[in-house]
Amino acid sequence: MTFSMKSSQKCGLIILLGLLAFAVLGSWLSPYTISQQDLNAILEPPNAQHWLGTDHFGRSMFTRMAYAVGLSFALGLVCVMTSALLGTFLGVWAAWSGKQVDGVLGVFVNILLALPGLVIVLLLAAIAPGSFLMLYLAISLVQWVEYFRVVRAVTQAVVQSPARQSSQMMGFGRWYQFKRHIWPAIAPSVFTLAAFGGANAILTMASLGFIYVGIQPPLAELGLMTVELFPYYSEAPWLLVQPLVVIALIVFGFHLLAGKRI
Amino acid sequence: MRSLFRFIRQMGFGFLASFLVVYGSMSWAASSKENTLSISSAFEFTSLDPSKNGYIYTRMQLLETLLDVNSKGQLVPALASKWKVSEDAKSWRFTLRDKVHFHDGSLMDANAVVKSLTIAKQKHGALRKAPIESIQAIDSKTVEVRLTKPYLLLGAILAHYSNAILAPASYGKKGDVLALSGTGPYQLSLYAPPHKLVVEKNSAYWGKKASIPYVSYLTGHRAESRVMQARSGQADIVFGLAPAALPLLKKLPSLTLYSNSIPRTIALKVNSGHPFLNDVRARQALSLAINRTGIAKSILRIPDSEAEQLLPPSMTDWYLPTISKEPMPLESAQALLASLGWKKNADGVLERDGKTFDLTLITYADRPELTTVATALQAQWNAIGVRTKVNVTNSSAIPMGHQDGSLEVALMARNYGFIANPLGVILSDFGANGGDWGAMNWHNKTMSTLLGSLEHTTDPKKYHQLAQQAAQLIYQQRPMIPVSYYVQQTAVNNRVKGFHFDPFERSFFLNDLEFKSP
Amino acid sequence: MKQLIFRRLLQLVCVVWGVGTLTFVLMRALPGDMAYRIAASRYGQDNVDSQAAALVRNELQLDLPPWLAYWHWLMDLLQFKLGHSLVSGEPVIDSVQHMLGHSLLLAVAGLCLSALIAVPLGLFSAWRGNPLDSVLMGLSSMVRAMPVFVLGVLLLLVFALHWNWFPVAGFGTAMHLVLPALTLAISFAAISNRVVRDSAKQVFGSSFYTFSQVKGLSKWRTFQRHGIRNIALPVVAFLGIQLVSMIEGIVMIESLFSWPGIGHGLAHAIFARDIPVIQGAALAMGALFVLLNTLVDIVCHWIDPRGGMPV
Repeated sequence: MTFSMKSSQKCGLIILLGLLAFAVLGSWLSPYTISQQDLNAILEPPNAQHWLGTDHFGRSMFTRMAYAVGLSFALGLVCVMTSALLGTFLGVWAAWSGKQVDGVLGVFVNILLALPGLVIVLLLAAIAPGSFLMLYLAISLVQWVEYFRVVRAVTQAVVQSPARQSSQMMGFGRWYQFKRHIWPAIAPSVFTLAAFGGANAILTMASLGFIYVGIQPPLAELGLMTVELFPYYSEAPWLLVQPLVVIALIVFGFHLLAGKRI
Repeated sequence: MRSLFRFIRQMGFGFLASFLVVYGSMSWAASSKENTLSISSAFEFTSLDPSKNGYIYTRMQLLETLLDVNSKGQLVPALASKWKVSEDAKSWRFTLRDKVHFHDGSLMDANAVVKSLTIAKQKHGALRKAPIESIQAIDSKTVEVRLTKPYLLLGAILAHYSNAILAPASYGKKGDVLALSGTGPYQLSLYAPPHKLVVEKNSAYWGKKASIPYVSYLTGHRAESRVMQARSGQADIVFGLAPAALPLLKKLPSLTLYSNSIPRTIALKVNSGHPFLNDVRARQALSLAINRTGIAKSILRIPDSEAEQLLPPSMTDWYLPTISKEPMPLESAQALLASLGWKKNADGVLERDGKTFDLTLITYADRPELTTVATALQAQWNAIGVRTKVNVTNSSAIPMGHQDGSLEVALMARNYGFIANPLGVILSDFGANGGDWGAMNWHNKTMSTLLGSLEHTTDPKKYHQLAQQAAQLIYQQRPMIPVSYYVQQTAVNNRVKGFHFDPFERSFFLNDLEFKSP
Repeated sequence: MKQLIFRRLLQLVCVVWGVGTLTFVLMRALPGDMAYRIAASRYGQDNVDSQAAALVRNELQLDLPPWLAYWHWLMDLLQFKLGHSLVSGEPVIDSVQHMLGHSLLLAVAGLCLSALIAVPLGLFSAWRGNPLDSVLMGLSSMVRAMPVFVLGVLLLLVFALHWNWFPVAGFGTAMHLVLPALTLAISFAAISNRVVRDSAKQVFGSSFYTFSQVKGLSKWRTFQRHGIRNIALPVVAFLGIQLVSMIEGIVMIESLFSWPGIGHGLAHAIFARDIPVIQGAALAMGALFVLLNTLVDIVCHWIDPRGGMPV
């Protein structure tokens, strides 16, 4: 199945692919590592040796930015995949498997919705301190509810549709019914939600760094870099600008890619 | 059912009430920008109990202790005008100052002091550990503390914030603190934990009366917002500035910056029982690999704050004046490690008997510079082939790791002036079984004997000699590896006159401050 | 109406129990000795040691088996007792009140401000043939691509540092409220002006709207009679979903401006392992969620009674 893309969506894709290329090439080409320090050359402006300057430890910003962008993409992907799979599966299940399943899942979702997402994220983060994967899993755990609600609503309509019912009467299996009837109906919404989910995961991660969750040197992560470089905003503004611009670009790219608004 | 109603009523009207209290109080408290000195610092307070948050209340000069500590660390009279130690050193007599009244109007007499100290003794604090037999009122002006054995530290411990003297009416039945009625030059005016505190001048103070009518204390969690408060002039005194902000603030004409050394050292606690670290040469190598000058200059932004030994120069008894620096530290470190059988493998990591030199370093985020110093240490140790994982957690992980033996290396900021006499902290850190915040699995007989005799040495010359020996031992054996001395950075607005800093962080000296007349 | 309220009460009970249980289970799953954490928060980092932890463990009976502790908590809850904070010893209800009160104040102020920004801008963008539409939409995309704290810092730099109009941090006067509320309002308006715009565009383009103008109503009368309600419906429904996440999302703002709200308090309580406070705060927010949803449903029904009463 193919998506026909609007020009704005293409634009979003180009931005994201460009950043991905920067991440891959950057990590590959750079002669430095993300943790290599030089305390005699801190807070340098961009120059021939360090294309994006050096941070407060004298580490190469170019290398760190490339690594951070790669990490954000990779873990953003984990997060989107987990939440989309979980949300879609449970949403379809709830809509398809009768009142009892729907009821139980409904109560569970209501509890999760009422519990502030941040509490869940903070609690899970505290279970495995310093584990980025845990943070992203926690974020997915908060995000899947959104998929669940949308998928469940759409699926309910499809399940009732004469086309699906005749499919069932003709003896087609569940998997075929899902592929033939339900997936085409929910795919656009899931895709839109996934694009926004990717953006939200990266924003949430950046915000978590701001309240000192998940700091584990010397890892380079966009949110943590923002927080680390923040105190130097007047002394070395060009450093602080880098992670911020990249966060904005990623989020903007995802929003464009989503195509639909909200 | 009734409790349900009460619950709903409390929740509902409570919100309204709390607004009215918080917002209303500002208007009738009559404090304004002109007559209020505003202080911003990182520390939160949650409880009125001096054993918990007393450091805020003594600094804000609400509470006072029997004895005080001057800037040199010597004991001076405070609520006790004089004190006397008996011949056998097992009884201390304190004569209380005349005509001192608590903020609630009651007289500070021997019974009040006995009550405060007896309650403090039951709570967490240094008094609990002291060998005290009894605390008694001899007459209305005299308090006697009897000890089971001579204990020189008692004076310093009584000067500690947890042993501040409160009015008897401040305590509830179980010794819980319900009100903060102390004797200081300021009294409580507004209490909104955990962020805000306003104190008001106590015009009946026994000593030097304050000139500024109101002082407010605001918890500024974020170092960056504290810097902005200093820059905009919205806070008059800002404590605990981040090193990164110093170059910027130095340029502002409206501020004066104070850099004060305090007896706090950024140091590494090392598990001397760890198979990689149980040889003193390994600890020395780790110490040699630290680029202290670089950390001081580039990360802490305070040149010359590097620490080769644990206690700062201000503690003359414990500071070794002659210590020679290693000329080629990295080479010596590598040689020491090689002598222990460590060889670099293909990844550049040291290896011995198939095991790589991996360490986990824990530190905590409450003090932001610790994380940055840990990051620097990680890279510097990496350079000699020691792979370090940094784990930023909570300060309590250090005593916990000490107790369950899981700790390998920990980076911390240890306050050696916590009790005015550094011996207090040294005893608990380097005693027989080490200490939660001190040596770990490091057993040294000479040290135990030295500490034992220091505990009851009164002759200053002898004391100095013994302390020097102990310091030498700590320096050579490296159960703790010092990194840098702490320098407290404070920004003071130029409308304030008379600021001076207490290296023991006991008081903000508010009653010495004045506003400059415009 | 009665059925709605009954249903929602049932939901409230479910949510309160579920939230409390979930936080309980998660808290128990945390590694490390709770007593040490609590001691660190109580006595400060200079004064935490194993003795303090032992004292705390003894006083709070932390070595009770989990099921017994859970039972105690449940029984207390049934009597509407939320217990005392493990750190400060204050009743939880007091601190929750204090925190939630401040958060609500900030949220309500932020919401009002954001309505003042988003509604006129949204309607303005929706006006047919408006050349500024894409500019405004681009601007709101830009704001949305920024983490909230960056926005807050920008406002701080401009209004508090450069012009010195408003205080940097703190609370207690109306002046202190301005910058945090504005930060919240702008970030929220960047999302909601889209909803207003899309909803208004749809209404302005609809046949009933054109018809009423054709039949001779003035532009203003048409807007009044046919516009407001129809535009408001999706906006209110949207607000209902976003409101709780907004209260939660202000933790960054609270941290930046030293605002003693619930998001910030919750984060602190989690670091300190102060279970009663976490549970109390989470309960209050869960209850608030149900309450707000009910309120939104009722308001939606009031705006558009056609759909019948929601359940």
